[in-house]
Amino acid sequence: MQVALEVNGTPHEVDVQAGEPLSTVLRDRLELTGTKVSCGEGTCGSCTVVVDGRPVLSCLTLAAACEGASVRTVEWDGELLARLRDAFTAEDGFQCGFCTPGQLMSALALLERSPSPSRDEIVAAMSGNLCRCGAYEGIALAVGRAAGESD
Amino acid sequence: MAKLVKTEAVVEGRTEERWTLVEEDATPEWAPDASPAVIGEPATRLTASARLTGTARYTSDIRLPGQLEAAVLRSPHAHARLTSISLDAARGLPGVRAVIGPGDCPDFDGDTVLHEEPPYAGAAVAAVAAESAEAARAALIALDPVWEPLGFITDLEQALESQVFQDDPSDYERGDAEAALGSSDVVLESEYVAPAQLHNSMEPHCAVADWRPDGVTLYSSTQAIYQARSQISAAFGIDSDRVRVICHYMGGGFGSKFGCGHEGILATELSRRAGRPVRLVLSRREENLTTGFRTPARVSFKIGASSDGRLQAVEASAVMGLGTGGWGYPVLEPVKSLYACDNLHLMTLPMRQNLGPAAAFRAPGVMEGTFAFEQALDELAAQVGVDPIELRRRNHADADPGTGRPYTSKRLLESYDLAAELAGWDGRDALRGEGRIRRGMGCASQYWWGGGGPPAYAEVRVGAAAKPVLTVGLQDLGTGVITACAVVVAERLGVRPDDVTVRAGDTDLAGHGPFSGGSMTLASIAPAVRSAGHHVRTQLLELAADMFEISADDLELVDGEVRSADGTLRHPLLEVTEKLGNAWVRGSGSRAPNPDGLAVNTFGCQIAQVAVDTVTGLVTVERIVAVHDVGRIVNPMGARSQVIGGILQGVGFALSEERVVDPTTGTVVNAGLEDYKIPTIADLPEVVCEFVGMPDPKLALGVKGLGEPPVIPTAGAIGNAVAHALGVRLREAPYTPRRVLEALG
Repeated sequence: MQVALEVNGTPHEVDVQAGEPLSTVLRDRLELTGTKVSCGEGTCGSCTVVVDGRPVLSCLTLAAACEGASVRTVEWDGELLARLRDAFTAEDGFQCGFCTPGQLMSALALLERSPSPSRDEIVAAMSGNLCRCGAYEGIALAVGRAAGESD
Repeated sequence: MAKLVKTEAVVEGRTEERWTLVEEDATPEWAPDASPAVIGEPATRLTASARLTGTARYTSDIRLPGQLEAAVLRSPHAHARLTSISLDAARGLPGVRAVIGPGDCPDFDGDTVLHEEPPYAGAAVAAVAAESAEAARAALIALDPVWEPLGFITDLEQALESQVFQDDPSDYERGDAEAALGSSDVVLESEYVAPAQLHNSMEPHCAVADWRPDGVTLYSSTQAIYQARSQISAAFGIDSDRVRVICHYMGGGFGSKFGCGHEGILATELSRRAGRPVRLVLSRREENLTTGFRTPARVSFKIGASSDGRLQAVEASAVMGLGTGGWGYPVLEPVKSLYACDNLHLMTLPMRQNLGPAAAFRAPGVMEGTFAFEQALDELAAQVGVDPIELRRRNHADADPGTGRPYTSKRLLESYDLAAELAGWDGRDALRGEGRIRRGMGCASQYWWGGGGPPAYAEVRVGAAAKPVLTVGLQDLGTGVITACAVVVAERLGVRPDDVTVRAGDTDLAGHGPFSGGSMTLASIAPAVRSAGHHVRTQLLELAADMFEISADDLELVDGEVRSADGTLRHPLLEVTEKLGNAWVRGSGSRAPNPDGLAVNTFGCQIAQVAVDTVTGLVTVERIVAVHDVGRIVNPMGARSQVIGGILQGVGFALSEERVVDPTTGTVVNAGLEDYKIPTIADLPEVVCEFVGMPDPKLALGVKGLGEPPVIPTAGAIGNAVAHALGVRLREAPYTPRRVLEALG
């Protein structure tokens, strides 16, 4: 079926299968491979993207249900995401980087709904994004840093 | 001039002798008190931009023209015989381009890849390549396998009774343990059980193979591109120079991704048959059934000591569950090598079980053994009434206890001092409290190798832009070794680390490098990188000397400039390099062997502070003080991240991570991340991280490894802290609320 959606500000018409997840559309059809699939069953957060302002697990989101949606991925060139990238770099908020696109997207959604989050809010918002390298300290500091710089 | 030399290297406890090609390293060492520019200053990761914008291409992101997707049929039984399979039915489905079953695929390092009698649940039986992942999955269903279930053993105690070993048992004796136990003032018997910890790298095992008439290219998520190349070469009978292995970005490995893996063999065979590139990405569940685990172990001790806590004798045994692979990881190494003790009798029993193959997991063996032995030592300390840190000091080894070799350097005693001070060790009893929440503090020591060694080669070139390009034959799991290499080049050439471009992760590039493991990578490659950089530096200074009519000896490279020592001459390096046009100034370097007859080890001490809720049984790690002696720190920012990462894996081992096998079916019941619980951001303790290791005076550049050390003592320290908090000792990790409440009665 045909689905019209906007990805990182660009409109796309994609022909998707009924059970196809959004992650596959992004990665295989639109070649936006920044979004990573690590568990494929909604338990790790690596595939997180922002859909209409909310962080969603793209491996569990049906592409067919994204008609008219505005999707943002790690490839987005928005100013807030650029600030998050700088903060993740400065605070060493990643090691292997495989979970990082999902971390950035969860952080982006958090800062858009809560521009000055407390440490507890940051931890709550980021706790669905697993990082096996254990870059959590840098992640928490980076989200706080990006928020602080928005003032 | 290059020459072949024979050298000894310790790889995760196994000593290897090998011939290696080395070139002379003319780089002068720094004076002991010198602090070379850039080295030791925090550097952000070179890979930041690629990894944070999504442009970094990991193996699972590779998409070649005409690429097929592969899927693997796996046994659902702990042990079974495949009595029939419909390979032709799968071949007849639309979009299916290759189907292979038992006997159709070369062995992998002597192991069967596709089994006729799969020995564990998850063992591969057949594989398909098709135009899409959906078509591949449909083909798996069409294979319609028929199984005859067979008897199995997954339980460790049953495995011990069966006496079927996966690797040879080891028996190590020093002195006369039995006699010394008989004459000891105090004898302590104790036992600990360590869980099977699953790696769960965020990037699953994956491979993309592109078989061509003139050779094969394998994109592999691997910790060892050269080992992967050798394995593909051997399995398929292709000259290794016609096998190219590429791993530009890697999403973690932690020991589970040495070589090309079964996925590399399967993708290559499918590509050979289909005549098209093939991608095979394992699912999370395949990952947790088939790609390895930290070996579960039951470790028993009989410790004899003097009344003041000095070790007289230790008898110990470790029963390890290796499943169907791996080797006898050095679980009892901490007993053998961490403290001075003249009388030992140590036995390891690496048992076979109908489970997936074990694989090295960050400090394999040593982490589990440290967890057990460091807690037994705390029991001893309590029995003789000596402070636990003081007990460790009293048993300090001044030379390697097994060989008598002196250490290149050792600052374990300083580690105790600093850790105790930072943790507030002296006030630890006041922490405990008597209410619902009890607090405790516990320590553990760390011992590991990490000296690195040859072979490791590097090339540096500088062109008109005056920005160095470093080529190294290694891969970056995510540890930051690429950034550390850039720091080392930047120091020699007077530039910033982010001026350096590093080319790595491709066996067709110059320079064979080390695998990423054993805390050996940086210690192996850094001296080669520095030597290559030094050769370029020498040439650049000679060019500048000619241009500015001054002796090269009076020149130095600082902050992108050529300067004279007296400060009178100062020109941008660009003024020299722009004359190069399209030519390069090049230099190569190789790693020289470590000095003979010395023990090269890393040491450290961690102190954990925990809070235990005696009503819910929940253990929270509040704080870890980590002090490690790992030689010169090249990049303190990356080093701190390594330490925190290791600690978190130790926290997971201690509190929440445990593969659970259903005894009635022999299958793993928690192969997904919703019920196999790795730490989240909410589990992050406060981490205080310090390094006492000054540059090692006996090693080139003074660098030792850091990958393994931080994970080694964490779980033991947590165990001791929980025992301190509760006054009751838990024998088995992880310390889940259920186990805590059971221990409290």
